[in-house]
Amino acid sequence: MTLPAPRGSSYALQQLARAFNANATSWIGLVTFLVVVALALLAPLISPYDPLEQDILARLQGPSAAHWFGTDSFGRDILSRLLWGARLSLVISTVSILAAVVIGGIIGILAGYVGGRFDMVVMQVMDVLLSFPSLIMGLMVVAMLGASMGNLMIAIALTAIAPFARIARAPTILVKERDYIEACRALGYSDLRIMTIHILPNIIAEILVMASLWLATAIRIEASLSFIGLGVRPPTATWGGMIREGFENILDSASLSIFPSLAILLVVFSLNMLGDGLRDAIDPKLRGGE
Amino acid sequence: MLGYVLKRLLLAIPTLFAVLSIVFVLARVLPGDPAQTILGDQASQEALTAMRHRLGVDKPIGAQYVDFLVNAVRGDWGNSLVTGKPVVEEVRKVLPYTIDLTVTAIVLGALIGVPLGVWSALRRNTWVDYFARIGSLLGLSFPAFVSAILLLLAFAIQLRWFPVISAGRLDDPVERLRSLVLPAVNLGIIMAAYVTRVTRSSMLEVLGEDYVRTARAKGVPTRAVIWRHAFRNSLIPVVTVVGLYLGILIGNSVLTEIVFNRPGLGKLMVSALNQRDYTVLQGMMVVYAFVIVLVNLLTDLTYGFIDPRVKRQ
Amino acid sequence: MSAAGPPQGANHAPSGGVGVHTRATADVPILAVENLVTVFRTGGGWHPAVRDVSFAVQHNETLAIVGESGCGKSVTALSIMGLVPPANGRVAGGHIRFAGRDLVALDEEEMRKIRGDRISMIFQEPMTSLNPVLTIGFQVAEALHYHRDMGRREASAVALELLDQVKIPSARQRFDDYPHQFSGGMRQRVMIAMALACRPELLLADEPTTALDVTIQAEVLSLLAELKAAYGMAMIFITHNLGVVASIADRVAAMYAGEIVEIAPVNELFARPTHPYTELLLRSIPRVDRDTGGLTVIAGQVPSIGAMPSGCRFAPRCPLRQPVCTSRDPLLVPLPDAPDHQVRCWLRAPPVEGGHA
Repeated sequence: MTLPAPRGSSYALQQLARAFNANATSWIGLVTFLVVVALALLAPLISPYDPLEQDILARLQGPSAAHWFGTDSFGRDILSRLLWGARLSLVISTVSILAAVVIGGIIGILAGYVGGRFDMVVMQVMDVLLSFPSLIMGLMVVAMLGASMGNLMIAIALTAIAPFARIARAPTILVKERDYIEACRALGYSDLRIMTIHILPNIIAEILVMASLWLATAIRIEASLSFIGLGVRPPTATWGGMIREGFENILDSASLSIFPSLAILLVVFSLNMLGDGLRDAIDPKLRGGE
Repeated sequence: MLGYVLKRLLLAIPTLFAVLSIVFVLARVLPGDPAQTILGDQASQEALTAMRHRLGVDKPIGAQYVDFLVNAVRGDWGNSLVTGKPVVEEVRKVLPYTIDLTVTAIVLGALIGVPLGVWSALRRNTWVDYFARIGSLLGLSFPAFVSAILLLLAFAIQLRWFPVISAGRLDDPVERLRSLVLPAVNLGIIMAAYVTRVTRSSMLEVLGEDYVRTARAKGVPTRAVIWRHAFRNSLIPVVTVVGLYLGILIGNSVLTEIVFNRPGLGKLMVSALNQRDYTVLQGMMVVYAFVIVLVNLLTDLTYGFIDPRVKRQ
Repeated sequence: MSAAGPPQGANHAPSGGVGVHTRATADVPILAVENLVTVFRTGGGWHPAVRDVSFAVQHNETLAIVGESGCGKSVTALSIMGLVPPANGRVAGGHIRFAGRDLVALDEEEMRKIRGDRISMIFQEPMTSLNPVLTIGFQVAEALHYHRDMGRREASAVALELLDQVKIPSARQRFDDYPHQFSGGMRQRVMIAMALACRPELLLADEPTTALDVTIQAEVLSLLAELKAAYGMAMIFITHNLGVVASIADRVAAMYAGEIVEIAPVNELFARPTHPYTELLLRSIPRVDRDTGGLTVIAGQVPSIGAMPSGCRFAPRCPLRQPVCTSRDPLLVPLPDAPDHQVRCWLRAPPVEGGHA
């Protein structure tokens, strides 16, 4: 892997900007995702009904003028629950991935920078963590700790730490060996300064790519756990929970399964497009010709 | 080659213990008082003490750790708190279903994914390529249970081609096959998505390598350049991803088994969760630990098979 | 001009359908490149990496092409072989005459039959130019299988001989070994064996010793010279190392920014470097036998292919620069007293009235 020449944070931003412009997919992904985020943020304002408001007489209805996406088994408006579920999914996934990026990134940079036995031990632990499938690990953690929003975030963050540690470590090792780092040390720069100013900008682009892809995974895991019954407890609206309800009532109403499914698909797909488009643009091998 | 195999086998042992240790931490150290969790808030002190003794959690943690490791390896994973039968038994009962499903899914995924990936790399930036890329991206954006439910809705409920509940008794081959189709397709398609992507990118990279240029400079025909020179080299990352994917496959098969109501390891785990069958749960984690190590081992051995550089380490 | 040549020896079975190998006679060059133009796509447009390159290689001759990185020498070789990566490059004009045909006009399948059989190429990076999952024996024998229709056993026997000829020790035992088990120098020898398997008439060597240790370089070079003489091949040797040129070349062409700026027999070039660029190149070779104050460098950098200056391409860096140099491209003109020494420079080689390049 060849690294760009030593430049600062402005280079990282330039690289990102270029990556975005190279590809329609990253733009489409970003815009779609931002639309969803906007909808989620505005949920309290635009949601037609209270997501918890029940109307037993109108249960399990298909789309209608009163309920654009239909109602669930308690007569609650699906659209409203979708919007509020979006908030929940986004919060859980964003917080957990943010935590994973920060913690994993720090671990990776430290391990790469310090090297030696510390590095070896840390990477062994990371490798073992990595070999756990995310869903199973998430399942185990939530099963043991109990199902709550906080525990969900912990579970998802745990599965994501190891990959970020890995991708923070590799370029750190490469950059560490470079001559200009020697020069920095000779000038008396502290290790911390070296790490933040010189190493960080080189890995930001790749971290962002991974972050978008992992955000998609986090949303998937949260939905899967909710579906199994280990998510945030009902009656709170979660996409996975809604699909579970839909599944239980599958013979009576398809809307309850379909709409949340489409919602998850939309968000995950747009994030994947974003991450994918960015990655294609950043990776020199896959570029058409330069 | 034999040396390589033995070496990998030996390395698998410490890995197994490392993974089991993590399971131990998750199972024993995290949850606090398991007796409390099982018996609930209303339990009396005697009941709690008895339960703790029964679970073996009243011993010092070091002793618990050793007990746990020894039992895990011996196959003594305790008895189900619900049925009373040995956990090993419960697992053995459902294992064939899971194996059926997993193997079929892998085969499907590879059969679709590899050719599509190669084709897409060769026809770069044509409609084949775009279709494969968007399609595979879409395929892996579906959480497994979402695609499962959609498949269920479409093919089992609407079209009635397949049974809604895939209980599939093992003795009737037709039934077995019929109830295998939808779950296997569900898992297989997601896997095909991963395989397509990695095959494509790996193939593209390999096609740009110097040794491919050398082959062309020798006048080797294009077909041979692709299949004899490029393809085998491109398989190496594919094997890595398949190995990684098997982990995801495990997670996805849990979800698939729930949706299709199909017996298997996943369903066992979830019902244990719901019934708070603590020992089965722990036993399941041990099973998964073994599976993970086995998968890593198989991946390593496959590398040795494909790439001559690896054997000589 | 496809006459059936004289009998060529056991390894020259007629290749199917294309006609018999035509051995060049004394005054017909084996390869004649005429006004070759190869363009590459960068930053949205197509720009010539090789512009109006013409030269000829005689039977049994070694032509060296020298120049800095990026001057187009490798692209020239790839163009001759038809191996310019089609995604971002193509031959846009000119002719490459070989064995009575124009290689530019051939389709892929016809070109494929020539590659590895009548024209071979060896590359710079022995570490990555061999396929890691195939044995070296197989890779050497492969061309024989495709061009000579040999079965596995026969091809392997010939391959083994070849490995002996390139002086791979214990060739028989190592026949089924993999490339990673060999050192860089050994791998380059394997490459040479591979390239010579079908006894090509022309060998293109793109910096084959650049990536090797200096001591190994000498061995590989002498091996190449030996084999070239034994096989009666012509060779185009691409390098940026003038020391190598002096030891193996018959004629030398200096390239700069996609053009040939000087071409002459080797002794002539070293005795009388006429183009300012060649002169500076020769002067910048460090000398250990003389006491010099400092190293001569050529100021500036090779222009990128999308930003070529108008007029003489070397003018921005040339110490002799005159106004005429930046207004029009100079032509490649023979020197008045040395007709096979051609130079592209308004000042050092002005075109004579009525003469033309």
